[in-house]
Amino acid sequence: MLKKMSVGAWIACCAVILMIASLIVYSVNIGSDGYFKGRAVNNLTLWMIVAAVLLAGAVAIKQMNLKGSAATCADLASGLMQIGSPVLVALSLINLIASRVEGLGFIYFSNADVIKEVQTPANMASGTGAIASMVVMGVALVVAIVAAFCGLRKKEAK
Amino acid sequence: MGKLSGFFRGMAALMACLLVLSTVGTGVVESYRSALDNVLGTSSYETITDESAARFKKDYATIEDMMAAAKALAIREGEEGTVVMKNDNGVLPLNADKQVVLFGLASYAPYPYTSGDLRAGNADAVDLLQALEDAGMKVNETVKGFYMTGILNKHIEQVPNMWTGELVDTVAYDNIYVAAPGDMTSYQVVEVPPTMFEEKGAPADWKSSIDKENAVAIVTFARGAGEGNTYAPGSATNYAGEATGKDPLALSDDELAVIDVAKETCGQVLVLINSGNNMVLKEIAKGGAHEVDGIAYIGVINDYQPIGIVNVLTGKVNATGALPDTYVADNASIPAVVNFGGDYYADYEIVGTEGTDSRYPGETIANTKASSFGGSSTYNGGHYIVEAEGIYVGYKYFETRYFDSVMNPQFNAASAKGATQGDTWDYNKEVLYSFGHGLSYLEYEQTLKNVQVDLSENGNVTAEIEIRNLSDKDGYFLAQLYVQQPYTEYDRTNLVEKSAVNFLTSGKAQVKAGGTETMKLTVPSKYLASYDYKNAKTWILDEGDYLFTAAPGSHAAANNFLAHLGKTVADGMDTDKTGAVVAWNLAAFDKTTFATANGHEVTNVADDADLNYWTGTNTVTYLSRQDWDATYPIDYSKVAIKLADSPKKDEWIAELRGQTYTIQTNDPANEGTDRGLRFNAASIQDEQLANVNDEYWDNLVSQITIDEAVGAVIHGGSSSDVLTHVDNPKVIQNEGVSGFTAAYNDEKTGKTYRFNVHSQTLIASSFNPDLAYEWGLIEGNSGLWLQRYDLWGTGLTQRRTPYNGRNYEYISEDPMLTNRIAYGILQGCAEKGIMNGPKHMGFNDQEHNRGGVSAYMTEQKFRETDLRGFQGGLSDADGMAVMIAFNRIGATNAAHHVGMLQKILRDEWGYTGLISTDMMNNKYYFNAESMVMAGITQVADFAQNDNHINEGEGGVDKTWAYISVNSVKNDGALVKQARENLKYQLYTFANSAVLNVSTRKVATWYDNAISIIRTVSLILTICCGLAFIATTVLKKKKEA
Repeated sequence: MLKKMSVGAWIACCAVILMIASLIVYSVNIGSDGYFKGRAVNNLTLWMIVAAVLLAGAVAIKQMNLKGSAATCADLASGLMQIGSPVLVALSLINLIASRVEGLGFIYFSNADVIKEVQTPANMASGTGAIASMVVMGVALVVAIVAAFCGLRKKEAK
Repeated sequence: MGKLSGFFRGMAALMACLLVLSTVGTGVVESYRSALDNVLGTSSYETITDESAARFKKDYATIEDMMAAAKALAIREGEEGTVVMKNDNGVLPLNADKQVVLFGLASYAPYPYTSGDLRAGNADAVDLLQALEDAGMKVNETVKGFYMTGILNKHIEQVPNMWTGELVDTVAYDNIYVAAPGDMTSYQVVEVPPTMFEEKGAPADWKSSIDKENAVAIVTFARGAGEGNTYAPGSATNYAGEATGKDPLALSDDELAVIDVAKETCGQVLVLINSGNNMVLKEIAKGGAHEVDGIAYIGVINDYQPIGIVNVLTGKVNATGALPDTYVADNASIPAVVNFGGDYYADYEIVGTEGTDSRYPGETIANTKASSFGGSSTYNGGHYIVEAEGIYVGYKYFETRYFDSVMNPQFNAASAKGATQGDTWDYNKEVLYSFGHGLSYLEYEQTLKNVQVDLSENGNVTAEIEIRNLSDKDGYFLAQLYVQQPYTEYDRTNLVEKSAVNFLTSGKAQVKAGGTETMKLTVPSKYLASYDYKNAKTWILDEGDYLFTAAPGSHAAANNFLAHLGKTVADGMDTDKTGAVVAWNLAAFDKTTFATANGHEVTNVADDADLNYWTGTNTVTYLSRQDWDATYPIDYSKVAIKLADSPKKDEWIAELRGQTYTIQTNDPANEGTDRGLRFNAASIQDEQLANVNDEYWDNLVSQITIDEAVGAVIHGGSSSDVLTHVDNPKVIQNEGVSGFTAAYNDEKTGKTYRFNVHSQTLIASSFNPDLAYEWGLIEGNSGLWLQRYDLWGTGLTQRRTPYNGRNYEYISEDPMLTNRIAYGILQGCAEKGIMNGPKHMGFNDQEHNRGGVSAYMTEQKFRETDLRGFQGGLSDADGMAVMIAFNRIGATNAAHHVGMLQKILRDEWGYTGLISTDMMNNKYYFNAESMVMAGITQVADFAQNDNHINEGEGGVDKTWAYISVNSVKNDGALVKQARENLKYQLYTFANSAVLNVSTRKVATWYDNAISIIRTVSLILTICCGLAFIATTVLKKKKEA
């Protein structure tokens, strides 16, 4: 089966891995001491899991040997899953950014009067973690979009 | 076909992602628009500078219309504020067929007779005499003649200005009442006795000019008042200058002689009380030795109020005014009077220093009294009073004691303590006219029909009062709402005091002859709570019945409650005519509903206001209704209080030296740096106007240097100075309590218009918060015409006793009447963008030694009396400024009081306005760093352009030489607080007419970009999605 996988399928797999990675970074961030501890974003985990499942599912469907109308339906389903997956990642990313801007501003751009109180090691680590989760999620988004342009199965020799 | 399918799939994914990002991103951009604009250099708003687009607009098209509105309002104050206290033998309304004979100096020159803070001085001002004549009343010319020419003889004298010494033309008379009583000195009651009439020019046969049967005498008596003035009990002298030992507020023998001659010559006698200080009227009231037919209160007049007053006297309008204070037979019966004026601690000298105060090395600083305007080296912390009466001020004392005399005889209400008219205390002998009393010409009934209590946050008591006009004339009527809370065993155990009668609010309505109208009155439910400073240490609501009633005064309310509780005349009630009571029951004791306010925990902040906190023993017994006899106040100035005996001696002495806060040395402050932000309409948008915590404000004040941050607060001056990195506009402060004293000069016509035509006393006795709101709008409009936006434009200190020389500036003995009137005035001003700051928050209830006297009290009194009067305007309404009292609360200068200013005013009340001191007259009393830490935004002084702490010799502060940039730069908390205080000040300026421009939102390039991306991505998502489906299906068909 692996032999049938195209470059696009491998890119999709990379996207799935990046999605999972971003979710892990995000989870560690909200679970660790610091400003963002406990500040979960509504539905973000669900959206990211669904996004990863959709993309992984798209790859899996395309590796099946289907014929006729079943093959047509599988192609359509797989394609729609390739479209839906990055959309969910984009939704997660923009909500993550929206929820983190104020906190990051507080940590990095507070008045000089209070900056010593604000920039504790825990808060700085929390800020770094938040940025890291956004960066990894952003990369996952780009890779998932690229994957959407690619076929997920090698063309078979005629 | 396969490649096309992949392309469209990828494009659909890309476009769908852009659609999501742009759609959700729009909301994100809105949240951070201000920051984005700062970063990108864009502007989301454009400023509209034409007047029609101003945020605060004038309501009057021309200056003539503005003046006419102010005049009409002032006339209404006269109409609604005149109180008919006594009306026998049909003396009122005046019979137009009868001749009016005017006696008394104030009939021809009512107080105040000169223009200034209290009186506008417009060219068309009207006095009582003219108003009566204009109304068609026939005035006896003979008496008028000798009074005006022989006795008064109005003329102009040159008098030095109190502040500048410049000689100014001033109206003067040969004989006139003393306009300023002085500070606890003798007070001459100047009233020319009839025995001197002929000597003063009256014809020998002047009495024959009066047809007694067809004449009504109007006798007007005045008492003066003024800043820095306090009446001294028992200090009266007569016209001849001889000490009489009488109360200066009581009618003198000379005045009674005038009454007698009026009674001798006229068929009926009406006395007008022209004073802001309650006068003692026992002699002329019912049963008095000089009883008259009628008494009416006319307060302190202004330019046009006499027109309204005469409209009431002549019956052109119904009388609807009510007394804002209780009138008693003897002021000595008032428990607050027992502790008034104050005296020294037994060892007050130990507070003084001889070169040992590290702030003032080498200086000898005494601890003696200073004059109202400072001038000597003293901490002025030697004098104190104990406000031992607690919440029982005015009617709350008299009506509660009356209620207990009937309902709870075990509380010893009949005790001799506090009785001045007999061996036992008797309400009807002690009280002449109760709070809220006022006779209506037209008979009517006010009946409470329904009450709803909403205890949710910001919930209200809503009462429906039916007014039945029982007369055959259309009329205007007053309704008053009162409540009685349960007084429980818990309260008695924990010394939670409850007045048996509490005024809540009032209103007026027009009702057709014989008709009925239902009036709905609302007041915040939080005012039902009582402060428990001993146990719960927060606001509590006792379980039980809360009784509500509508009544024509506090005494009628007390009787309504007694009747509801089953009492009758047989039990000691003084009437069987009572009204409806509606009970609202609270099932369980509640100490949580009002234990938080504005998101902040409410708990004790003024334990040290109690003298017992310092002495460590029960030195003071505060008045408690559970035993009127055992707890009736004694004079604590006669008790030897020794600072040295206190277990907290050092702390106490430090506080009396003004060392509430000490500058720290181990917390480096950040120097201000210019971030390029400025105070202007382009930077201050709706988000910034709505939120003092918007980062813009912190960033703006972070630019202010240490020098200017501290300097601008402690040298606030009489106008705000322009800060270097802020470029804020200069805002000039204005006086006074009757409106802006500044005049508008119309260049086109050459006419001068003065809008300070209001009367604090008459708005108070109007009992009409709606009228107060209308005055607030007028005051606000006048500010817009004058282009002046910051005004010390009302006084709200509680009238604790009748002797305070500034009672004419204040509203009432009752905090809630003050609260509701203040709500109206301050809200009206706020809606016109005018920062109207009430004076003087924090128990400035006597002028005597106001610049240092310590007022000791319980925290229940602290929260439920003077402060409650300010709460309506500063918390419930959108008040934007306040001036703090001169005196101390406990040992702490009111302007240093973190509990009052930070915890209550800012936190609990959510107040975001500016906080000013009174005039900084004594650097040893007003401590710069303590004022900063308390949240003062501007210390008042006369200087301008002095917002620095390096202008003294050697680069130190010119007033407090121990302060310099070097001394405060290591106190980060102090500098931070100074910037925080300026933040509130700048925020308030922005929300006022100082920044009176409108802005309109415009689309920036990034708005346009997002909008285009959203639209295009939506279209392409759909197209590419469909194309993907089509190409996929076609590909499969082809493969098949």
